[in-house]
Amino acid sequence: MKKLLVMMLAMCMLAGVAFAAGPSIDLKTASWDSIVAAAKAEGSVTFYAWYFPDYFKEAAADFEKQYGIKANVIIGDQTANFNKAIAEKDMQTGTIDTMIVGGQWVKTTTDLNLFYGPIRNILPDASKFSNNSWELQEGVLINGYLAPFHRNQTGILYDPDRVKDPPQTWAELVAWINAHPMEFGFCDPSKGGSGQSFVHTAIGALAGGLDKYKGDKELVQSKVANWDQVWKWFNDNKDKMTITVSNNDSIIRMNGGELAMTVAWDDNVKDMISKGNLFKRAKMYIPKMGLAGGGDTLGVLKNASHKAAALVWINFIQSREQQLKKFQMVGAYPARTDMTIEGTLLTEEDRKNNAIPWFPAPYKDFMIKEFVKNVLMK
Amino acid sequence: MAATKQKNLWYVRQARRKRRFTTLLTVFFILVQVLWVGVPIFMTVLWSLVDPNHPWSFPNILPEKLSWGQWMYVFKYTNILRALKTSYTLAPCAVLLSFLFSLPTAYVLGRKQIPGKKFFQTIVLLPIIMPGMVVALFLSRVFNAFGLAQNFFGLVLAHTLMGLPYMIRVLTTSFEAIPQDVIDAAENLGANTFVKIKDIFLPMVRPGLLAGMIFAFTTSIEEFNLTFIIGTPTFETIPTILYSFLGYNFIRTNASVVALIMMIPNIIMLFAVENFLKSDYLSASLGKL
Repeated sequence: MKKLLVMMLAMCMLAGVAFAAGPSIDLKTASWDSIVAAAKAEGSVTFYAWYFPDYFKEAAADFEKQYGIKANVIIGDQTANFNKAIAEKDMQTGTIDTMIVGGQWVKTTTDLNLFYGPIRNILPDASKFSNNSWELQEGVLINGYLAPFHRNQTGILYDPDRVKDPPQTWAELVAWINAHPMEFGFCDPSKGGSGQSFVHTAIGALAGGLDKYKGDKELVQSKVANWDQVWKWFNDNKDKMTITVSNNDSIIRMNGGELAMTVAWDDNVKDMISKGNLFKRAKMYIPKMGLAGGGDTLGVLKNASHKAAALVWINFIQSREQQLKKFQMVGAYPARTDMTIEGTLLTEEDRKNNAIPWFPAPYKDFMIKEFVKNVLMK
Repeated sequence: MAATKQKNLWYVRQARRKRRFTTLLTVFFILVQVLWVGVPIFMTVLWSLVDPNHPWSFPNILPEKLSWGQWMYVFKYTNILRALKTSYTLAPCAVLLSFLFSLPTAYVLGRKQIPGKKFFQTIVLLPIIMPGMVVALFLSRVFNAFGLAQNFFGLVLAHTLMGLPYMIRVLTTSFEAIPQDVIDAAENLGANTFVKIKDIFLPMVRPGLLAGMIFAFTTSIEEFNLTFIIGTPTFETIPTILYSFLGYNFIRTNASVVALIMMIPNIIMLFAVENFLKSDYLSASLGKL
């Protein structure tokens, strides 16, 4: 009896090791065909997202049709998804194979070493994406661990019935806010990227431009010494602006008439219009003072049990057809650089001239914490 | 004669005043119910019916056009049917297990004098005092270690854990409320333990038990954190879908649909239980019905 138990335990352990080890091939050196074969042998992939259930459900069906691999799509909540991934971090085999990594989670997940990689050299279409998008996300060095899958951009969203001459410069915006108290809104930067983008632009306008932070890997105290005047401006004008609780909340409040102008993500706006949550007359632009853009990425979890299938899924989502389908269904701008897109909310000219990059991650982190401390808590 | 007439008049006025006061209270109650329950439900229904091509926007007081588009979207693009099945299989199992676990605990806390009773009464409430995600993150380690993650029994156990505090608290109060005289009388008439449980304890705690069951059931139906951490991707419940529309990516129209899907069976159950509660054993035993 004892012998039998020991044998069963040993078999279980061996099975566990074999299972956790994932595919028998080395994904980093294997040919793409053998990775696809390994993915087919794995049979399924579990993918976590928190938006676009319509697109991902259709993509999963297309994926299964093309490869015969079942894509189990779980649409959860952003924070809950990451809490789950982090809770399972030390497990030999986790339950998530691949997931969307939102801008504000890039630093945390990179610091925690949550993802397998680098995957840039494995994916066949990697060269179709900008070098920068493989290297840097939200000011964080990602070194090819996270795969870009769509680009998005913050801009000013407004109701043309109430805003006749939308502001382009910081001075014009301030004048508009003074003339229309509480009608301009932005999201709490600790709750959403659109708010971060607005505060980022405010720092550029009020604290001597954004160029001085370029290339810094660590926060330089002397460069943030004059941010006090930024917080002072926010405190002085707090009663004239509306701070919302999420990216979508800003849009919802505009739909309800509370706001006439707000900072928003272009893909959010398109999605909200298509679902009947925002009036169709809404217009959007990137002002000359500049607003930052970004894009979400996909990562393969280090302890994923279907790594090959996860890579094939990511490659599928990055494909030309799917990038186009995603744009057509939900308005998310493709991350590929080898395709042109028509019918976007923001003009190509705006993107080219007025979209600005984020300052490095240490400054962004500091900005969020300082905003909460010096503006929200005062 | 005049004095009697005066007295009668006084009684009539008093009765009128009472009636007016009762009417005022009733109107106030209805008004509060309409504002507190009716308006949000009405708004939820309207938002769930907003046609995707005709947004309900400022300055429109009511939606331009209603359609089933949002409902069709939820049923087409989410795993709502799978979630409904899981939720409504899980909740009764969790209620049953909560009842079995809480009955002895509540009996001891309600009827026996044990050292540290107040302390234990507070301790059992801990799972609902702590933030849900904190409980979920810590418990997920235990569930993973014991192989209880990603399996139905583990989920039942997790939901039981979240429902137990309500069940224990309500049942403890019910046990405390049973008059000792009734138990003494039963004992004098020769009732054994089984008879006491069957004819005194269980009938008398039934209202509390039903209230506890409602709490445990709704807690299970609404539980998100533990289910998400230890249950998905194998199991999805209604809140895991609701949170995808209600959390970071708030989409009011779709969230309204899922909220209604979650609410309707609960309302039906509440009415059913309310009917069942009408026969109040405790009051009956004291001759107060």
